[in-house]
Amino acid sequence: MFKKLIQESMGKSPWLFHINAGSCNGCDIELVSVLTPRYDAERLGFKLAGSPRHADIVVVTGPVTKQSLPRVLRAISQVPEPRCIVTMGSCPQSGNVFRGSYSVAGPLSKYVHVDVDVAGCAPKPEAVIDGLALATQILKEKRGQMK
Amino acid sequence: MTIVITALQYLGYVLIFPGFLFCFLAGMLLCGIDRKLVAKMQKRVGPPILQPFYDFFKLCGKETIIPASASKTTFLMAPLVGLAALVVIQLFIPVFSFSAFSGMADVIVILYLLLIPAMSIILGGAASGSPYAGVGLSREMVTIISCELPLVLVLLAVAKTVGSAMGTGLCFSLSDIAAYQAMNGSLITKLSMIPAAVAMLLIIPGETGNHPFDAAEAETEICEGLLAEYSGAPLGVFKLSHAIKMLTLTSLFVALFLGGLGTGIVALDGIILFLLCVVLTAVSISFVHAITARLKIEQIFKFYWTLVTGLALISLVLAWYGL
Repeated sequence: MFKKLIQESMGKSPWLFHINAGSCNGCDIELVSVLTPRYDAERLGFKLAGSPRHADIVVVTGPVTKQSLPRVLRAISQVPEPRCIVTMGSCPQSGNVFRGSYSVAGPLSKYVHVDVDVAGCAPKPEAVIDGLALATQILKEKRGQMK
Repeated sequence: MTIVITALQYLGYVLIFPGFLFCFLAGMLLCGIDRKLVAKMQKRVGPPILQPFYDFFKLCGKETIIPASASKTTFLMAPLVGLAALVVIQLFIPVFSFSAFSGMADVIVILYLLLIPAMSIILGGAASGSPYAGVGLSREMVTIISCELPLVLVLLAVAKTVGSAMGTGLCFSLSDIAAYQAMNGSLITKLSMIPAAVAMLLIIPGETGNHPFDAAEAETEICEGLLAEYSGAPLGVFKLSHAIKMLTLTSLFVALFLGGLGTGIVALDGIILFLLCVVLTAVSISFVHAITARLKIEQIFKFYWTLVTGLALISLVLAWYGL
């Protein structure tokens, strides 16, 4: 019963940690707008955590520059299991307009397993909430597979 | 035989009614209601009222990472010590006429026990070896020092009022304070006690580390400070301690200023106490949270040592002259 309770709770309280991997700040602003009174993601239990140790879902924005790559990987490895990685915007997914630049090391999926991609430049808040809700379902499944 | 029954009775006190189970359920509900109220005040839908329960059980199911630089035993034991101290405080606070433990000077015991949860979070943060925790640690200490002086003055003012009415000088027994209020009406109806009650309302968010006074756990600037390295179940226990602290301080307010409203039936009194705690949380925590931005640490210190201490002093002086 206790195990089931934990698994149910896992789907109702996902805490986000946001990593900026060289983003132009557009996606960062859109992510914050998801938490404003208009879209209010807190009604689904979402909360922006300050430390990667508290997070369940890691949201990565930006094309993953060579400078930021080791820091991104280090921050992701500090998130306790079960965790989900969501890329936000087209940049971490494909490189977007920065593709082919000498300073870009992306896409992120070359280095870590990415669970959900939310495409767009920048994605609409509805799309972000949809992607995060999908990530929450994956989180719940991952918890079910643990132990 | 009587020893067994007494032992069982005390076990029931510790584990069920004013103790652990009541603290867990009431504290978490109070925390959920607070979050919902803040959301409503900001024109949001807000999380469900059961959200703190989901958060707690989710954290129980996460991996617990212990940093390589941490002192393992202290890091893991600190949350439990803080939680235990809070449950003990709840045993000393009377539910109107009923009190599980009572003594000659339980006000002073509570004053000391209230320091233990704060000390445990400081110890745990220091043991984690994180620089963010180091910054949070110094801020948490300053916050405690800021709150402690006005809290002592408020308690002295109440002790003097009740003590001089009973002819014992200073009265430090919460059950005597409850008995006095049952006979003479709540202390908040006395004119000299109103500044002290206002001061106590302002102390509650400071002691719990709630919004305008949360410089120690500022998540946007120092990564939640003392909790930066905590994950999984120990973090859940700290979140639970925070919720119970809200219940403890609001029920202390009820015991000091709003006594004498009880009916004599313990179960009903528990419900009345919880409802009063909800009202006090709404006024002193949620409302203040919704309308203010985070203060800097020196502003917190200045606020408590001038305005709040001044209010408490006015009450103390009035009580000393028997008004």
